[in-house]
Amino acid sequence: MSHLKAVASRTLQLALVLWAVVTILFLMFRLMPGNPMAAYIDPTFTVEQQQALMAQFGLDKPLWEQYFIYLGNLLQGELGQSFRYREPVAERIFALLPNTLILTFSSLFVAYAFGILAGAYLAWRRGSAVENAAIPLVLMTRAMPEFWLGMVLLAVFSFWLGWFPAGGTRPAGADYDSLWALYTSRDFLSYLALPALTLAIYSQGLPLLLMRSNMLDVMKEDFVTMARIKGLSNWTVVVRHAARNALLPVMTSFAIAVGYQLQGNVVVESIFSWPGLGRELVNAVSASDYPLAQGAFLMIAVVVILMNLIADMLYALLDPRISHA
Amino acid sequence: MHDLALQKPGLVGRMFRSLKLPLSDPFAVFGLAVYATFLLTAIFADAIAPYDPTEILYTPEYELASDLRPGEQGFILGTTSLGRDIFSQIVYGTRSALIIGITAAFMVALIGSVVGLVSGYFGGWVDAVLMRLADIAFGIPFLPFVIVLAAFLEPSIWNVVLAMALVLWRDTGRVIRSQVLTLRSRGYVDAARVCGSSDLKIILRHIAPNILPLSFLYGSIAIGWAILTEASISFLGFGDPQSISWGYMLQDAFASQALAKQAYYWFVPPGICIILVVSAGFFITRGYENLLFPKLGR
Amino acid sequence: MKSTCRAVMATAFLALAAAASPAMAGDPIRTIEILSRPQASQPQEFQSIQLIAQEWRKLGLTVNVRVMPWEQMSDVVWYQRADWDSTAWQMVGRPERSDPDEIIYNLFHSSTAEKGYNFIGYQNPEYDAVAEAQRGEIDPEKRKAMVFEAQELLARDQPNMMLVHPKQTFAFDKTVWKPESIVDQSGIGIRNTWTFMALEPLGEKKDIVLNSSDNVKAINPLYISGGVDSWVFELVYDRLIRVGPDGLPKAWAAESYEWKGDKTVAVKLREGMKWHDGKPVTPEDVKFSFEAIVSGEAPMYAPFGSNIESIAIDGQVITFTLKKPAASFVTSSLAKVNLIPKHVWEPIIEDLKTKEANAESYQEKTPIGSGPYKFERWLTNEEIVLSANKEHFNAPKADRWILRIVPNVEAALGMLRSGELNFLGEFSGDPKVLIDAAKQDGDLEVVSTVEMGFRYVAFNERRPPFNDVAFRRALSAAVDRRLIVNAAYRGFAVPSNSVISPSLEFWYDPKTLAELKTGHDVAAGMLEEAGYTLDGGKLHYPGDTKETLAK
Repeated sequence: MSHLKAVASRTLQLALVLWAVVTILFLMFRLMPGNPMAAYIDPTFTVEQQQALMAQFGLDKPLWEQYFIYLGNLLQGELGQSFRYREPVAERIFALLPNTLILTFSSLFVAYAFGILAGAYLAWRRGSAVENAAIPLVLMTRAMPEFWLGMVLLAVFSFWLGWFPAGGTRPAGADYDSLWALYTSRDFLSYLALPALTLAIYSQGLPLLLMRSNMLDVMKEDFVTMARIKGLSNWTVVVRHAARNALLPVMTSFAIAVGYQLQGNVVVESIFSWPGLGRELVNAVSASDYPLAQGAFLMIAVVVILMNLIADMLYALLDPRISHA
Repeated sequence: MHDLALQKPGLVGRMFRSLKLPLSDPFAVFGLAVYATFLLTAIFADAIAPYDPTEILYTPEYELASDLRPGEQGFILGTTSLGRDIFSQIVYGTRSALIIGITAAFMVALIGSVVGLVSGYFGGWVDAVLMRLADIAFGIPFLPFVIVLAAFLEPSIWNVVLAMALVLWRDTGRVIRSQVLTLRSRGYVDAARVCGSSDLKIILRHIAPNILPLSFLYGSIAIGWAILTEASISFLGFGDPQSISWGYMLQDAFASQALAKQAYYWFVPPGICIILVVSAGFFITRGYENLLFPKLGR
Repeated sequence: MKSTCRAVMATAFLALAAAASPAMAGDPIRTIEILSRPQASQPQEFQSIQLIAQEWRKLGLTVNVRVMPWEQMSDVVWYQRADWDSTAWQMVGRPERSDPDEIIYNLFHSSTAEKGYNFIGYQNPEYDAVAEAQRGEIDPEKRKAMVFEAQELLARDQPNMMLVHPKQTFAFDKTVWKPESIVDQSGIGIRNTWTFMALEPLGEKKDIVLNSSDNVKAINPLYISGGVDSWVFELVYDRLIRVGPDGLPKAWAAESYEWKGDKTVAVKLREGMKWHDGKPVTPEDVKFSFEAIVSGEAPMYAPFGSNIESIAIDGQVITFTLKKPAASFVTSSLAKVNLIPKHVWEPIIEDLKTKEANAESYQEKTPIGSGPYKFERWLTNEEIVLSANKEHFNAPKADRWILRIVPNVEAALGMLRSGELNFLGEFSGDPKVLIDAAKQDGDLEVVSTVEMGFRYVAFNERRPPFNDVAFRRALSAAVDRRLIVNAAYRGFAVPSNSVISPSLEFWYDPKTLAELKTGHDVAAGMLEEAGYTLDGGKLHYPGDTKETLAK
C-alpha cells in the first residue's frame, strides 16, 4: 500500500468514527424522556414565552432537522448555546480546556519519567526481593479509586501538613500578565502538585510495567549479550543499550494514556476545585444542560480519537520489527 | 485436542480445565483466595450482617445512633452520620460489588469474544464492519459515557454494567480477533474444514477452547474496571442510593465529612475492600499472562 | 383433637369472611410514593424523608421513596401535576421574601394551581379571599391580622406537611475581620450584602475571600440565574430600596420613598451617585431600568414590573403609579429590580429586539453598575474578583471581594482553616463538624441563623387519599418535628407548622406550631375517627371508597 493511500484511508476512517460519535451523542441527549428544557422554563412563563425559548435553542423543529442543523453547526465549529449559562458552549470549553490539558500532561510526564526509570530498574534487578515486593505494590496503585486517593492526599498534605493549598489553580485574587506567566509561576506549581500527584500515582503503573517487560525482552537480544561479553558493566548495558530500545513502545503508549487520563480527570477536578473540562461535564449533565454536556463530551472524545490515531501512527513508525530490520 | 475428545470428560470439567487457572503463581492464588472470601461473604451477607444496611438505627435511649465509633453500643465498625451500621454496609457492599463486577465481566468477555471470533474467523465484510464498530467504541470516552447514561436512566447499579457492555468489549474483541487469526492459520483448522466440519463446529470445537483463557483474562480485568467505575459514579452523585455499594459508602463518608471527623473506620474499610478485590483481579490476570505469554514475565 | 380442629377452621372461616366483606371498609390504599432528592446533594432532606416514610408505614401504609435529582423532580412536580403523590420540597430565604405576599399568595391561591406555584392544587375559596385581601391592605396592623388568618387556615387544612425552618450556618476568620462588624440579617444569616459592605479588616489582609460550591452562571442584571449569582450582582448593582438587616425595607439608592394613596409611590433618588464608568446616575436611568424588565427581553424580571401603570419624573423624584394596589410593591419590586445604566443597555436591548435571543443570554464583558463593589475579573469556574467602589455612598471597608468556586465541602472547610478562605459563604456539611473545627482552630467564629425559608412535604391534593383533609392532617401528625430537627438536621433547625418563619417576627403566627399535636397515636386516632380502617396491617379507605389510582 502506498503511503498516500494509507493516509487517505486513515483519514476517512477518522471521519467515520467522528461522525458516529457525534450521532450517538446527539441521539443520546435528544431521546431522553421529558422536555429537555424543563428545568429552565420558569412556571410563570406564558405559553408564548416558553415557545420563544424553545425556538431560541432550535428545539421547536423536528428531530431530523435538528440533527442536520447540529451537524452543519459543528462543521462551522459552532457548538450551540448553553442552557444554564446562556453563552456559547465553545467559549466555555476553550476557557477550560487549557487547565485540563496542563493537568493531564504534567501528571503524565511525571508518571512516565518515574515509570520508565523504575521499570528499567526493576528489569535490571529481576528476581530480587525489591522486584518481588514492588510489582504487587504497583498493581495495587492501579486498583485504588482515584477520588479516594485524592481525598487522602488532600487530607494529609494539605489539611494536616499544610504543604500545599487545597484547591484552585492560583492564590485568591492573584493576577498574571499571561497564561504563560501563570503556568511558570511558583504559586501555580504548588496548586498543581496535589492533583497532578494523584493522577500520576494512578498512571505510573502502565509505563512501569511496559518498560519492565520490554527491557526483559530486549535484554535477551544478541547485541545486549555482546555488550556484556565486551565487559561493560551491567548498569551501563541497561542504560546505553537495552533501555534505548525498550523505550520506543512505551512512548507510543503515552498517546493512549492521554486519552484515558482525560477521562479520569473528571473525578480529580472535583476534589481539587480544578476548573477543568471534566468538572464542567459533570455539572452540565447533572443540570440537564445538554448543549454544554454534549460539547464537553465531544471535546474529550475528539482528544481521545486524535490520541488513538497518533498512537497508531507512532506504532507503525516505531514498530520494533521495522527498527530491528 | 484429539486426546481430550477421546476422554470425553463432562462439559463443565472441560470448560474448567480449559480456563487453565494459574495455580502455580502465588499472587494469583492469593487473588483467587480473595475472590473466594468475598464471594462467600456476598452469598451469606444476610447471615453475617447484623443489620439492614439502609435501616436508620437508634440507641436504647431512643436517640439516633449516628457517628458512633467502632465498638460503641456494639457496632463493630461504628455507624454513619445518618445512623446506619458501617459493618453491615461493608458486608452488603460485597454483594453489589460482585454482582456488578461479575455481570460486567461476563458481558464484556462474552460480547468481546463473540465479536472477536466472528470477525477473525469469517473475515471479509463482517470483519470490516465489526472492526469499524470497535473503532467507534474506542472513540467514546468511557467515564463521561457512563455519567451521561447514569444521569438519564433511573439511578441503578446496572447502568455501569450496561455502559461496559456497550463500550468495553472493544479491547477484548480486538485481541481475540488477532488470536483467532493466528489459530485459523494453523493446520488443524484447515484439516477440520477439509474433513467437512461446519463453521460452527470448528469455532466451538477447535477455536473457542483456545481463546477461553484470554476471554477470562479480559473478564478479570473488567471486574476491577466495573467496581472502580461504579465507585467513581457514586462519588460524583450518580449512584443508586437504594443499593449499598462501597462507592456509595465512600460518597456518603465524604459528603458527611468523615475526613474532618477523622472517622477512619468509615472511609478506610470500603477503600481497602475495593483495592483488595480489584488488585486480586490484577494478580490473577498477571498469573494468566505469565502462563499465556511466558516471554512477558520473569 | 377433633374440637380443636373445628375451632381452628371456624377462626379461619371468620377471618376469610372479614377479609371478603366489602361493605365494612373501602379498598386498601395503594402504595404511596414520596419523592426526595439524593443523599449526595441533600443529606438532610433524604434523611427526613426516610424517617417520615418509616412513621407512615407504622400507620399501615405502603410507602415507596423515589429518589431523583432536582431537575427530574422539578420536571415531575411542575409539569406532570396529576402524577405524583407527595414530595419533599423547599423554599429558600431571599431578602424580597421578607414580605409574606409571595408565599401566602402564589403558593396557595387557586389561580396559580393550574400552571403556577400552587403545584399541589390547593383549592379553598375562604383562603383565596384572605390571600387577596392582604395584598391590597397597606395598613401593616390590619394586614398582619389577615396574614395570621391565612396561616391558621393553612394549619387547619394542612395542604403541606411543614417540617422545619433550617438554620443557616456560616463562619469567618476572626483574626482577619472584626467580629462586631458582621451583620446578621434576619432570616438570611451573616452571608449577606450588608456584611460584605461592613466587614472591617483588623490587619494587613483586606480581601474578603469566600467560597461557593456552585459555579456562577451569569452576572446579568436582567436575568435571575441562581443563588450564587445574586451574591455577586447585589454588590455590583444598586436598587432603590434594600431589605435591611431587620427584614424591613430601607431606602437605598432612593433617599426616601412615600405612599401617595394606595396605588402611587413617590421615590426621591439620592444625589451624586455614579456608575462604575464615571457617568452620573439619573432618574432617566431608574425609569429605564423599570421599563427594560417589561420590554419583553427579560421574562424572568417581567412579573416585578408588570403592575406598573406609569412612571413619571419630576427633578429627582420618580413617581410610580400602579394598576392595582399592592402592599408588597416596595419590598418585592423596588427592592428587587437592579438599577442599570441607560447608556449601556438601551442599544443592547434595541439590538436584541431584532433577534431571537433575549437579554438573559447577554453577558457584558465588564458589567457596569453603581453598587458598592466594581467588577474586576471572572475566571471561568474558578473565581470572581470585585473591588471596593470607594466613591459609593456606603463604601465597603474591605479592599476586594473574591469568590472562589470550591465544589467539595471537605476542601472548603480545610481552606477556611488554612486561611485560603476567610469567610465561609456556603457550608452544606454537618454544622457540628464546623463548630468542632472552630473550637480546635481558635481563629474561627461560627454563626447560625434561623432561615426565612422552609422544608416541607407537599401533598398532591388532586389525588386521593390526599384530597381528604383528615388524611393529610393524620399524615402530618404522624411525625414529631423534633425528630426531624434532631435526627436529620442535628439540631440546626427549628420545628415548623407555618410557611412564615419565626425569623419574620412581625408576620409569624406562633399559635400554628403551639397547636400542632403529633405522635403515632394521635395520627392513628385521626385516621380511625375519619373512618379509615386497618385490616391485616394495611390501611383501607373509609366507607366504600374505591382505589382509582392503583397501578
